[in-house]
Amino acid sequence: MQPAAAASSTAVTPLRRLAIASTTTCAKEASDYGKCIVATYTDVHKDMCKAEFERFGACLRQTMKRKW
Amino acid sequence: MILATRSCFKAHLRSFASLASSQVNSATQSPFQVFDREVKRSQKDRAVARDGGNRSRTVDYVRNEVADRMIERFLASDIKRKFPSILDLGSGSGHFSKLLEPDRTQKVTMVDMSKLALGRDPDTEFEVQVERLVLDEEKLLDTIPRNSQEAIVSCLSLHWVNDLPGVLVQIKEALRPDGVFIGAIFGGDTLFELRTALQLAEVEREGGISPHISPMADPRDMSNLLSRAGFNLLTVDVDEVKIRYPSMWELLDDLRDMGENNAIIGRRHLLRRDTLAAASAIYKELHGEEDGTLPATFQVIYMIGWKPAPHQPEPLERGSGKTSLKKVL
Repeated sequence: MQPAAAASSTAVTPLRRLAIASTTTCAKEASDYGKCIVATYTDVHKDMCKAEFERFGACLRQTMKRKW
Repeated sequence: MILATRSCFKAHLRSFASLASSQVNSATQSPFQVFDREVKRSQKDRAVARDGGNRSRTVDYVRNEVADRMIERFLASDIKRKFPSILDLGSGSGHFSKLLEPDRTQKVTMVDMSKLALGRDPDTEFEVQVERLVLDEEKLLDTIPRNSQEAIVSCLSLHWVNDLPGVLVQIKEALRPDGVFIGAIFGGDTLFELRTALQLAEVEREGGISPHISPMADPRDMSNLLSRAGFNLLTVDVDEVKIRYPSMWELLDDLRDMGENNAIIGRRHLLRRDTLAAASAIYKELHGEEDGTLPATFQVIYMIGWKPAPHQPEPLERGSGKTSLKKVL
């Protein structure tokens, strides 16, 4: 019972991998994107930070070795 | 193109899609129907079932903290009375009930719609006699007779109730005259950091927003709601619990383990990875602390109200005071 519980809580789900990629591996790109939004967050519109997000997204895809 | 890439990952997408809700039908939907109660019940059940209850116990910190602050109000306020029994409405696993001591009450009846949550912890963890009752908070009067309760408490469950004014009326009806209601409910500023991060991410990535965080009660409305429900001698105050997380992802995990997933009727059933990742980045830049942690605010409204009774003290008439406050101060 106990080992099974431990195993299931440490299993790396795709979402967990996305979490790690977005906060650790791609921290620099994430920060650039976040700063772009925060610079004018009272007036956000679609694709306002497209370039920054594309770099962030590319890093995520490369880290996770998949497209979506 | 989008369809093609989507289908490749259908299996994975499923894993973070939330439960399907019934279709929104504006013609038959009452304006008071905001939350899907059946979905909420199964979310609560699943949260407790995960890892044999261990995950659920790990995330008791918010509820335990608020239960602690609520019992302070219960003990330290003017409620010097002893109650033979107390009804804990939406008790969950009994975070508040566990703090009750035999010198104030003999018995507590825990009411919750999730059977698993009610039964999570054994009776030995309680100091008073416990009775468990599986019942939807919205249908309190279906099972509990009118004028039958000495005291009703509710700690962090009424924010999932559709018709809050109606439930408050039911609570008042279930109380005996001069019975007391003590409650804690999440206020509108709860999780504002997550709310804003998701909204900004959705606008910038997808060009629109959808409901991910519930609408919650405004502290200013609470005393009006209580007096409208017919309570007397009201006390309402607001407090905040701030928790720091390493990132948005731990917050999302913990909310799920608390059984606090989104249960709004007509919610989107999945968040795109792009939007989630964007929200995580925005959360950090917009709200992050200097030490790298991300704060999440839980705003809590505490309320005390009494059911009217003939011998209850009443406020004096306006202008009948004899002592000038100026002199006192």
